[in-house]
Amino acid sequence: MALITQTYLSLLSFWSTLMARTGNKNIQAKLVLLGDMGTGKTSLVLRFVKGQFYDYQESTIGAAFFTQILSLNEATVKFDIWDTAGQERYHSLAPMYYRGAAAAVVVYDITSMDSFIRAKRWIQELQRQGDHCFLTILFIDLLGNPNLVMVLVANKTDLETKRKVETEEGERYAQENGLLFIESSAKTAQNVNELFYEIAKRLAKACPMPPTGIKLHNETQGGRRLFCCTG
Amino acid sequence: MFGTQSRREISHEFQPSMQYWKPSIHTRRANIVVKFQDLYGFTVEGNVDDVNVLNEVREKVRQQGRVWWALEASKGANWYLQPQISSISESVASLKLSSVANSIVLKRLIRKGIPPILRPKVWLSVSGAVKKRSTVPESYYNDLISAVEGKTTPATRQIDHDLPRTFPGHPWLDTPEGHASLRRVLVGYSFRDSHVGYCQGLNYVAAMLLLVMKTEEDAFWMLAVLLENVLVNDCYTPNLSGCHVEQRVFQDMLAKKCPRIAAHLEDMEFDVSLVATEWFLCLFSKSLPSETTMRVWDVLFYEGAKVLFHVALAIFRVKEEELLMTSQIGDIISILQRTTHHLYDPDDLLTVAFDKLGSMTTNAITKERKKQEPAVMAELDQRLRRLNSIKVDDESPSVSPVAPR
Ligand SMILES: Nc1nc2c(ncn2[C@@H]2O[C@H](COP(=O)(O)OP(=O)(O)OP(=O)(O)O)[C@@H](O)[C@H]2O)c(=O)[nH]1
Ligand SMILES: [Mg+2]
Repeated sequence: MALITQTYLSLLSFWSTLMARTGNKNIQAKLVLLGDMGTGKTSLVLRFVKGQFYDYQESTIGAAFFTQILSLNEATVKFDIWDTAGQERYHSLAPMYYRGAAAAVVVYDITSMDSFIRAKRWIQELQRQGDHCFLTILFIDLLGNPNLVMVLVANKTDLETKRKVETEEGERYAQENGLLFIESSAKTAQNVNELFYEIAKRLAKACPMPPTGIKLHNETQGGRRLFCCTG
Repeated sequence: MFGTQSRREISHEFQPSMQYWKPSIHTRRANIVVKFQDLYGFTVEGNVDDVNVLNEVREKVRQQGRVWWALEASKGANWYLQPQISSISESVASLKLSSVANSIVLKRLIRKGIPPILRPKVWLSVSGAVKKRSTVPESYYNDLISAVEGKTTPATRQIDHDLPRTFPGHPWLDTPEGHASLRRVLVGYSFRDSHVGYCQGLNYVAAMLLLVMKTEEDAFWMLAVLLENVLVNDCYTPNLSGCHVEQRVFQDMLAKKCPRIAAHLEDMEFDVSLVATEWFLCLFSKSLPSETTMRVWDVLFYEGAKVLFHVALAIFRVKEEELLMTSQIGDIISILQRTTHHLYDPDDLLTVAFDKLGSMTTNAITKERKKQEPAVMAELDQRLRRLNSIKVDDESPSVSPVAPR
């Protein structure tokens, strides 16, 4: 614990000097995507990271990892993205991927009511994780993150004719639970970049008191190296 | 009649071509990325070096074939089939001697690779699939398939959803015929073991089996023997408990066999199961080039699930120095991905896996599994209870015990 605090403080002091020098923030943030199988998690990430879309996207096993950098006026955000597998039985793997995340994107498919129900359960689980961690705030570094930015995403808006979950329904649930809400289509690219920009903005606002999952780092030196030298 | 369907030879649209692809002087100069089909019809994107490696691998496959033919010529066509100890009057001692000798030869031979053309026969035999099938009536598979036709379950719905998402773009798998074959195998299995039902990942495994085996029915039996005999129990069941156990065993082994990497990854708070879960569930079929995957499976079917540990450790070992230099999780993952995708020469991987890591006995692994099991079960149980508590009382969240790992 002492070690963690120490490195943390030296990191902060290093950060202030960097801030003073550059006047800009570099934020590294872990982002996790959760949601039922086939809701379009991988497609959303691929659209964001590579600008690609496939009508038939391979199902994800375990999880896939991507990175992408977004430059805002106020900060540069480097996303470490974990795109998880959606099948119910992979649920037991999820904590490994969402642990320590700065942002969680919970996706449902507007043509499937089941996927919406599943999304709500994910959100409850994440919130519970948050409560739980709040109570053990001292160990926050090892567990979860009460400042988690959560977004509820209603995907596949291009399939309007097959819609089963009304916009208001998703919106209301998000409002009640204090989540961001976005309707998107990985296929047409509608709102995909907006989704990630919105998250980046929230993260930038939350800094420079970094919650877990956000590591401030210097591009040339690398975050971990810094930990090693000063810790 | 439905009956004939499964016996029909699977007619792959693509013919595994043994043609060499000769890069022209221009492509060599420009170091252009080229696209071509590999032995199993998968599109490979690589540079000229990759093409050269693949051509060498084809040549090696051919040479290895000649070794097998020579042995067949001297020992008889079915020398490697499980010895049938049918008549006790036979000289048991000499039978034992020759079968021990054969099994030593066979082990070495299989580690060097089974010729693609012999795979169906050898896999069925050494894995125990033939034996498994012999315990049920001949018509088992066809009866099963006709009995479940038209039935809808959560498993069949998920299978239908995944058919076009299994190696999309493959010249045979991604055709109506390929989808129908894959569907029958997966749906059939989901009824054979309704506890497993359908687990994502099995689609890739079954698809590769269909590409290798001569008939759909043989692919089905290979899938059955894999899940029921070769792999650890409960790998694909609803809480994936077997898979969790394997991951812990793997972590433990990495610490023993590659202590420097293990320590470095731990410093970086990188859990190896973040990447290894997919390797174990898809048996590397989504990560390694197809012939390399098949070489891993050759050994897997003969030597058992310990092979997965050998191979996973070898992947870390071949990039040890590079991995030790990383300071970002993203770098670790991209090194591992780049490495696995480019392991076109199976021997580069298998030599490390079987000659450079020291021995790992199945017994030791079984012991380690036993040791990890209680913790895994307790963790899964705790998580389940917490999830249930979310469902029943949404209003007043109670404090739950310490989170798992
Ligand atoms: N029409 C339409 N189809 C989409 C959209 N997003 C994804 N899809 C399709 O839906 C299917 C599933 O998409 P994926 O991105 O693989 O879904 P996933 O959530 O990653 O699924 P798992 O990996 O199985 O958990 C694919 O065939 C996609 O092409 C969308 O916005 N519109
Ligand atoms: Mg996916």
